Amino acid sequence: MIPADAKRKLTEIAGNAFLDRPEDMRLYEYDGGVDKALPEIVLFPETAAQIAAILRVALDHRIPLLGRGAGTGLSGGAIPCRGGIVVSFARMNRILEIDLDNERAVVEPGVVNLDLTLAVQGRKYFFAPDPSSQRACTIGGNVAENAGGPHTLAYGVTTNHVLGLEAVLPDGAIVHTGGMGQDHPGLDLTGLLTGSEGTMALITKVTVRLMRQPEAVKTILAIYDTVDDCANTVSEITARAITPAAVEMLDGVMLRMVEEATHAGYPMDAAAVLLIELEGLQEAVEEQVEQVRDACAACHAREFRIARHAQERELLWKGRKNAFGAIGRVSPFYYVQDGVVPRTQIAPTLRAIGGIGSRCGLTISNIFHAGDGNMHPIILFDARKPGDLKKAQRAGEDILDHCISVGGSITGEHGIGMEKVELMRHLYSEESLEMMRRLKSLFDPDGMLNPGKLLPTGKGCTEIRQLPLVNEKTML
Amino acid sequence: MTPTTPQELAGSLRAAAEKKQTIGLRGASTKRRMAAAGREPAIAISTTSLNQILQYEPKDLTISVQAGLRWADLRALLAANRQMIPLDPPYAQQATVGGVVAANTSGPRRRWFGTARDLVIGMTFIPIDGLAVQTGGMVVKNVAGLDMGKLLIGSMGTLAAIASVNFKLAPLPEATRTFVFSDRNPEPVFARRDEILKSVLQPSSLDLVNPAAAAKIGIDGWSLLVRAGGSQRVLDRYSRELPAAQVCEGPAESKLWESIEEFTPSYLAEFPAARVVRVSSTLREVRAVAGTLPGPVVSRAGNGVTYGYLPPETRWSPPAEWQACYEYGGGDDAWLNSGDDLPLMRRVKQMLDPDGLLNPGRYYGRF
Ligand SMILES: Cc1cc2nc3c(=O)[nH]c(=O)nc-3n(C[C@H](O)[C@H](O)[C@H](O)COP(=O)(O)OP(=O)(O)OC[C@H]3O[C@@H](n4cnc5c(N)ncnc54)[C@H](O)[C@@H]3O)c2cc1C
Repeated sequence: MIPADAKRKLTEIAGNAFLDRPEDMRLYEYDGGVDKALPEIVLFPETAAQIAAILRVALDHRIPLLGRGAGTGLSGGAIPCRGGIVVSFARMNRILEIDLDNERAVVEPGVVNLDLTLAVQGRKYFFAPDPSSQRACTIGGNVAENAGGPHTLAYGVTTNHVLGLEAVLPDGAIVHTGGMGQDHPGLDLTGLLTGSEGTMALITKVTVRLMRQPEAVKTILAIYDTVDDCANTVSEITARAITPAAVEMLDGVMLRMVEEATHAGYPMDAAAVLLIELEGLQEAVEEQVEQVRDACAACHAREFRIARHAQERELLWKGRKNAFGAIGRVSPFYYVQDGVVPRTQIAPTLRAIGGIGSRCGLTISNIFHAGDGNMHPIILFDARKPGDLKKAQRAGEDILDHCISVGGSITGEHGIGMEKVELMRHLYSEESLEMMRRLKSLFDPDGMLNPGKLLPTGKGCTEIRQLPLVNEKTML
Repeated sequence: MTPTTPQELAGSLRAAAEKKQTIGLRGASTKRRMAAAGREPAIAISTTSLNQILQYEPKDLTISVQAGLRWADLRALLAANRQMIPLDPPYAQQATVGGVVAANTSGPRRRWFGTARDLVIGMTFIPIDGLAVQTGGMVVKNVAGLDMGKLLIGSMGTLAAIASVNFKLAPLPEATRTFVFSDRNPEPVFARRDEILKSVLQPSSLDLVNPAAAAKIGIDGWSLLVRAGGSQRVLDRYSRELPAAQVCEGPAESKLWESIEEFTPSYLAEFPAARVVRVSSTLREVRAVAGTLPGPVVSRAGNGVTYGYLPPETRWSPPAEWQACYEYGGGDDAWLNSGDDLPLMRRVKQMLDPDGLLNPGRYYGRF
């Protein structure tokens, strides 16, 4: 419980921009993942100074605290599993500076990812990290999770585009890391904080790199009769030294769900498809189209379609980016996993996922960033059936253990959050975990900031309740 | 000491720590004076016998190697498979992988490919208490746990010994072509750079040199060097877009870039007492920075990182408002204006090496 005097101080600092009624708290008890827990108060500060003051009160009274962007995270990062304070960045959503001559922008953390690209695309620039949730998720959330997206295959993930941060430490100190320029002397704290899942500092300002739009873009749909052929194309493309901007794979189950929902023109009878995007100079793209065509043919693609114009391209991408909504139409409950394997392991991993699905009697469909081996198996289940959620989670764990066994990782972009805290032990030695704990304690010695996330400490902190994972309302 | 396994490396570190001996971590010792020479350590530990390729599957576009492997050997191995790690570090012939990463050295192709922070996907490092810490892994996308490798990159061996490094790889381009624009005045050259930055061209390198530096690499005047990679058709497109440039290909091109990449080593060989200042600026500010620095200037003009070479006896220091440091010759005050995050950096150092035994003073004289 937050003591009354602490609460008074907090609401004062936030200039009365807060919520604390039980019915409002319900809106902040979940994110895009499976876990739930209620906060006691949600504050809506507008400045780093306010956040610093909030953190000092929280520390004085030992109240756990975490930051929240759009709440689209898929690993429970924004779930206040020990109760306490949620700091929402909803009111820190200004683009502070756009400097195209320098290929930079400075934004507040609550800026929605897509809004930054929309602000500069008229002048032919873009912000490269493009998570499928980009219409909703915030840049602060992207920094916290080190988010990726389809085009991060060519352009890199969030950390490759963040040059500097303003961060508030749990003791209220405001620090500035990195900056407008590159190669500042000094340890790369920007790089350490990016991907630290809001457990070491709250980010209040982000300096990012903007990129010039490529001259030409071609989007290709390659259609296959077997999943293996489709998966093998990915390493075939690598072997031929082709560097696409994006290579996304959808399996048959997913294709049919997506096609019924969006009519993007995906074949209903195929075993799998690749959605491949090539970007760059006109000449380079034209050549790569032919090289990719050869690679696909060598892997027995049944058909090779090139989108003829922007509208067709957008339709193909709409199918990909709205996939989660499409699943919602077929199965009210699903569990998205996020694992990574070396590219040559995609085909065997898909077979392993199929096997895990049949063993536990659940349908598992796949839609994922194939180009960098980032698997997203989607486990369909029915939470109304007793034991089904447990089965789904078990299947997820088995899949991740498989990823580890072939030299991969348990998360490529969604983060550890609370969901995978215990699995960290499967991936890292105790010595490596110990080093992460020491670093975390250096920033947050009292463990007040986003407790229960990222690092295994012993026991998980909440029971998992059986509720819809993503409901229609929050669909993107 | 020259350990031959990571376990031996951990053992040497632990033994020295117990005796509170200061330790000098060494690769090939090419950059002994970089950042700050620091204090002479009681013992030296060299990684040069840790030089194995741990894992290499060309189709995965990743490689894992031990820290003592020579950069040149790594480059040759990758080139045999038409792959590369486009870091282009100075001292490329002798330097070790661990040294390149610990010093965060890079070169012209960072315009398109980035630096070690963009190309390293995992690492094993051993702090002074002998823990074997693994961070990241062998996949190109990975957000499991804290990205501790970022701290080690550029840490000048003051935090821990790097035992092995995993990289993501890029395919070698089919061919490359370099375009050189030269003029007696800087303005037309900077105007060219600005045009290229705003254009659809995607050169891998965009370097700019002043006349004093140009003279040392066999070109003339203020010069912009633009390197493109790709097929003949792609390169011909560059030729059409970049008329009025001197075109350089084949061995002459390789030689030109090597002289740029090795500019610092050559300069220091000629003037061992020279200072080398590195300035981080916005792209726009590069013009003023390059115009202000006395002596030769080599700028990564598409990144805003500019190297100024101050001959011995030059009594000049960078203006206070610049973000600058001395890469060489700055003594114990090589980092000119640290920010409000320095206390945090010191805390990181303190946690990893409480007695300050590792490479004492080598972090720009700050720790
Ligand atoms: C349909 C769908 C598709 C998705 N596709 C992708 C994808 O392609 N790639 C991808 O990477 N992710 C994807 N995600 C996951 C999610 O969108 C990303 O993780 C995103 O970065 C989260 O941003 P957010 O603003 O919603 O953050 P939240 O969910 O609100 O928070 C996530 C974490 O960030 C912390 N945090 C938020 N703001 C700050 C701050 N200012 N300072 C410190 N910590 C902060 C929170 O405490 C929490 O730990 C998808 C999610 C959905 C629902």
